[in-house]
Amino acid sequence: MFSNLFSLPLFLEAETIVRSAGTTTFYRIASVVLIILVLVGLNRMSSVEKSLSGNRLGAISMFLAVVLTLWYYNIFNIWQIWAALVVGALIGSYLYRKVDMIQMPQMVGLLNGFGGLASMLAGILTLAGSDINPAGTVTDPTFSGITAGLAIVVGGLTWTGSAIAAAKLHRIMDQKPKVLPGHQFWTSLTLLISLVSAILFAFPPFNEAGSARTLLIIIAVIAGNAFGYFLAIRVGGADMPITISLLNSFSGVAGAIAGMAISDVLLVAIGGIVGASGLILTQIMCRSMNRKLGDILLGKTASKPKAPAAKAEKAPAPAEPAAKAAPVGKTAAPAKSEELSPSEAAAAKLQDAESVIIVPGYGMALSQAQPLVKQLTQALEDSGKKVSFAIHPVAGRMPGHMNVLLAEVDIPYDQLYEMDAINDEFANTDCVIVIGANDVLNPAANTAEGTPIYGMPVLDVAAAKHIIICNFDLKPGYAGVPNPLYEEAETNHEHVQLYLGDAKETLLAILKAFRESKKAKKDAAADTGESKAEAAAVEEAKGPSTAAKLLRQAKNVIIVPGYGMALSQAQPLVKQLMDQLETEGADVEFAIHPVAGRMPGHMNVLLAEVDIPYDKLHEMSDINDKFKDSDVVLVIGANDVINPAANTAEGTPIYGMPVLQVADAPHVIICNFDLKPGYAGVENPLYEEAGKADDRVILLLGDAKETLKSVMEEL
Amino acid sequence: MHWSILIIIFLVAMILGYKIIDRVPSLLHTPLMSGMNAFSGVTLLACLGATAGAVATNGVFRVILGMIAIILSTINMLAGFGVTDRILKMFKKSGKEGK
Repeated sequence: MFSNLFSLPLFLEAETIVRSAGTTTFYRIASVVLIILVLVGLNRMSSVEKSLSGNRLGAISMFLAVVLTLWYYNIFNIWQIWAALVVGALIGSYLYRKVDMIQMPQMVGLLNGFGGLASMLAGILTLAGSDINPAGTVTDPTFSGITAGLAIVVGGLTWTGSAIAAAKLHRIMDQKPKVLPGHQFWTSLTLLISLVSAILFAFPPFNEAGSARTLLIIIAVIAGNAFGYFLAIRVGGADMPITISLLNSFSGVAGAIAGMAISDVLLVAIGGIVGASGLILTQIMCRSMNRKLGDILLGKTASKPKAPAAKAEKAPAPAEPAAKAAPVGKTAAPAKSEELSPSEAAAAKLQDAESVIIVPGYGMALSQAQPLVKQLTQALEDSGKKVSFAIHPVAGRMPGHMNVLLAEVDIPYDQLYEMDAINDEFANTDCVIVIGANDVLNPAANTAEGTPIYGMPVLDVAAAKHIIICNFDLKPGYAGVPNPLYEEAETNHEHVQLYLGDAKETLLAILKAFRESKKAKKDAAADTGESKAEAAAVEEAKGPSTAAKLLRQAKNVIIVPGYGMALSQAQPLVKQLMDQLETEGADVEFAIHPVAGRMPGHMNVLLAEVDIPYDKLHEMSDINDKFKDSDVVLVIGANDVINPAANTAEGTPIYGMPVLQVADAPHVIICNFDLKPGYAGVENPLYEEAGKADDRVILLLGDAKETLKSVMEEL
Repeated sequence: MHWSILIIIFLVAMILGYKIIDRVPSLLHTPLMSGMNAFSGVTLLACLGATAGAVATNGVFRVILGMIAIILSTINMLAGFGVTDRILKMFKKSGKEGK
């Protein structure tokens, strides 16, 4: 079979095949049209509304480019190509569906590397005599040789560099900059060998296929990849946005050079565009970090030798922060005269503020505190405060990192402001909340001459009337320059409050304190919406312990999961809770509504993933009668599917919809993110019952994971 | 095609790209990057030609290399566009819940 296919007459005389002039002309015109389409698509990326269609236009153009190439080379009938395309398409579509938003930086890095590796292989094949060069496009062999050699080198360094960057971001590798003995020497040497070997491909004996050329190919591959290794290994965590942008640029350039080797206009142009884009991002990142590209590539970390451990390198171990958060109160509020805990002090400031600016940083991303940021935003806005976000260009690990994280938790993008747009606003702002950011707001950048960050544009946070800083520890940021605001927190408590520990813990405490102070403020408010929120606030204080007490006494527990559980990825905790209850002799079952979640069987998949046996998962019709015999029902992030209004509230969209008869149970514990009605927009009467003294309904608001954790702690 | 034309095309593309991309707001920098990432999979076009050439000249080893290259660049392109699509869909304006 192989021999049969290999003897396809198609390209045996590839060099002599002359595509008709008309074919070549059409190919060139079509290429130009596709390039223009790509540019039009890119142009749409400059506004959020149009960006989605812009991206799709780009994807379609690329699809057409593949078809055009297959047609031009007349290679529709080679099964190897189809097989490889199908495999690539399957893996690619699996990857993009599977990846979590949290993992986006390493995903981008890895994909980038794949592109580079492919360019390297294309260069090798071109040099090994596999290019098919339809006549009329035959390139100068000297030029073709050098460019193919360069494609190997640039592609190789993109691959290794990206793979290392991805491994560092994924924490498979240590994030600290690593300097090897003789690093500088090896970097220069591998770069030199790479370039020389690329050029040598133009000269005899390397300019034609043979063992000399094969050897040189191997040398170029090794040198290029080694250079990529030396380049990426000594870049530290916080410099990653720059590295990723640069590698992005390289992957484009590698493609363009591979295109030059085979005289493909489309490849050259699109590779060039990608190269330019990566270059822009690299520039912006460098400017915003006040770093020179050369310094980063040469491994000059910004940190002073005294403070080599950058804050970014400290990945908080999950258990540690909680422990650390406790003693913080002492450090942070020694000068406080009133009997306020730090979170209460922060809440009081927020209560008084009219306008609030939130400054997110990598610390927020590390502790995954975005859902709490969203809740805090909501709480502040519900009390009529104006909330905006100030995004420094290099906050996070890749360009636009913070924007993506905040968008994921549904914070509208028109609340997110770039540094230049918001810097003047700080002076008119009552309260600024800094979450896990340090260097990007360090006022020392304006004053401390001679430090690495001097002259770097920073967010003018210090101008605000009051600043609440939530940071993991007191260490200087990546640049190693102490932040004078931290000192001010000791001396001038009215201006700066420092709150140390894991961002999630800290925010949770502030949020709770804020809700409580709000309740205290409007104790007598009679309007129903308000009283509900207050009831919830009360519940929040004693909720977890009451819930835990009920669960301890229960013999029959039914758990009702919903999309909220999926959103907060609380399944492992659900499994833990189930195990804990079962060891205490309780019977735990799950009630699955057919439309719980976002796809048919969503909940089943999620629970199956954490090893909950499927015989515990019951369909609605099987379990609906059992609610009245159960002791406690635990609802996790489900709303519409348990809404008793479906039975009674005529005229609403959910009237008549079959729901889980949760209300039949003697006790219902509802863990939900907020009090808003579900997707159908119908108020849930169970929520109204929550405030009552009989503990029939207990409402625990917040991220499901947090809520479950606090309940389990009480258990 | 003369090599100088190719270099000119490369430079013009870079300049045009630079002009257009410079206007992308920082809000969209991640999707810009992941989209650009997808475009760098355009090297697929070179891989297609090279693999066809390898098939035609009976180079079994080169055919395998070519297929790997096609697989990698296809992953790069497809996952890149897919991920970008996912990210862009997350950006919502205030007031509009859901779609």
